[in-house]
Amino acid sequence: MSTDTVSLRIEFSGGLELLFANQRSHRISIPAIVPKDDGDVETKSADITYLIHYLRHNLLKERPELFIEDKTVRPGILVLVNDTDWELEGEGDYVLKDGDEIVFISTLHGG
Amino acid sequence: MASCGNPDVEADASMTKRPKYDRNKTCVKCKLQTGNIVIRHAVYCKDCFFPLMSLRFRRTLEPHINPNPQQHRRKGLKASGNLLIGLSGGLGSSVLLDLIQKTYLSPRERQQGDQNPNGITCPWSKIFVVYVDISGIMIGAPDKSSPVEQFVKRHSTTMEYIRVKLEDAFDQTRSPGLRKILLKVLSSSTCSPLVSLKTYIESLPTQTAISSAIQALIRVLLLHTAALTHSSHLLLGTSLTSLSISLISSISQGGGYSIREETQEEWTYRNQDNIEQIVRVIRPLCDVGMKECAFWAWWCGLKVVGKHRYSGGRQDIGALTRDFIMGLEKDYPSTVSTIARTCNKLTTKGGTSMKCLICQRPAQSGTQDWKQNISIRSYSDINPEDVPPGHVNLASRASDDLPPSNPHSIASSMCYACHTSWTSKSIRGRITKQTDIPLPVWLKISSSISEERRQITMESMRNTIDDFLLDSDS
Repeated sequence: MSTDTVSLRIEFSGGLELLFANQRSHRISIPAIVPKDDGDVETKSADITYLIHYLRHNLLKERPELFIEDKTVRPGILVLVNDTDWELEGEGDYVLKDGDEIVFISTLHGG
Repeated sequence: MASCGNPDVEADASMTKRPKYDRNKTCVKCKLQTGNIVIRHAVYCKDCFFPLMSLRFRRTLEPHINPNPQQHRRKGLKASGNLLIGLSGGLGSSVLLDLIQKTYLSPRERQQGDQNPNGITCPWSKIFVVYVDISGIMIGAPDKSSPVEQFVKRHSTTMEYIRVKLEDAFDQTRSPGLRKILLKVLSSSTCSPLVSLKTYIESLPTQTAISSAIQALIRVLLLHTAALTHSSHLLLGTSLTSLSISLISSISQGGGYSIREETQEEWTYRNQDNIEQIVRVIRPLCDVGMKECAFWAWWCGLKVVGKHRYSGGRQDIGALTRDFIMGLEKDYPSTVSTIARTCNKLTTKGGTSMKCLICQRPAQSGTQDWKQNISIRSYSDINPEDVPPGHVNLASRASDDLPPSNPHSIASSMCYACHTSWTSKSIRGRITKQTDIPLPVWLKISSSISEERRQITMESMRNTIDDFLLDSDS
């Protein structure tokens, strides 16, 4: 596996920061090439689906069910990629680039 | 013979993912810039997003500002009273506060999201912001009054902050907006309002009933606060998503008769001069999804405090509905919009002048009679010629007969939803053994008004026919 890494800036908002040691901003580095699936020998470029998996296992401190559901973010959590709705960037299939800013916003606070 | 391929073996067999937006990534409004957000399959850039939100907000609110609602005009907005904004600390109400400030209070220089550089005159003389603190019944929950107050002050120094506690609904000494001349101590209880509130909550049979009761208490407290502040408008930050959740949840609990009031309602009360006043309850964000609210808050740098939400877990219809609608919005965002639009087309059969004592919403008469007619009760009233099943002992069942409905009881003045909440059976067999359950203050006062009217009516009747009554001696 390549040793190249991708540096990212992660932001949590809307109460999600409580699950990540009450810290809104994080700077992380993840491998550029990662396994396609858990235990799989096939590889892929690190995408947002992998990032979610990485965050769940490395940064999340409690209540994983409030963040992740079926290998993606739970309904009610929005994702922005460089200030853009991730639905415009291919959602979980967006390939991460060095210096990207990924924001996770929870809307579960309601009205 | 054609057959469906196996996605695990053939890569081409799995259906390609459809994009969540129509056409391309260019903004559908300006058709120039690349989009930043997808709203129900339509792509908008950041510059076009803010005017869109502002337009939807004003289009919902402004026709109802003037005393005579106006659908097509925007000039000369002038409300008959003050404005009360309900701030829960949640996303929707925080965005609502921001929109009010930017639309009607912001100075002439432009701010992020400000689409009215010419400055519209504020239609209200005064603006109040009320926060209902429910931390008293949330075990371990912090009091968010101070952060909420700071949030209001950061937005505007002209908005006046009011804090109301949920237990004020049981505080006979502090009943906001209620006529003090009718205030009597009807209960001999010396419990504190908080203890009364907890007793009331614990007496309810199901988690769903508890959640609904808390929402009803918050709503009526807001209405009475609007009366106290001489407000003609009460604005709530219910987004399209939250509205769809409350509509489905309300209908599933028997609240279909007041479905229109979930979106917008007019609450009437009599002030101290006995003049009828109206408070218009409007939800200006009812056409704005929760996703749009979240983007607005993020792009405008709003520090949303967050709200306490009582959840009964998997046994609470409200919580289950919320999970369902949030999941639906993720994959089928237009369907959530359809729920609200369809419910907006519904109308009830016939009118009513009766108001539910608990939730203060229109109530259909005859709820108890209806429930008795559809309930499975006993065989004691069957046709004597029919032979009952062998396991039925008619003699022992005679005591199961329900008493005839008392037209002057609280139950006869409740809407179907509240009646169902109070009488629903818990699957865990939860039944309160208390006989003296404290009630919200406005319920006691309404009952005393009915009692007074009944007594006065009988007395006046006696006076009227007094001349025609024969003496008992003759």
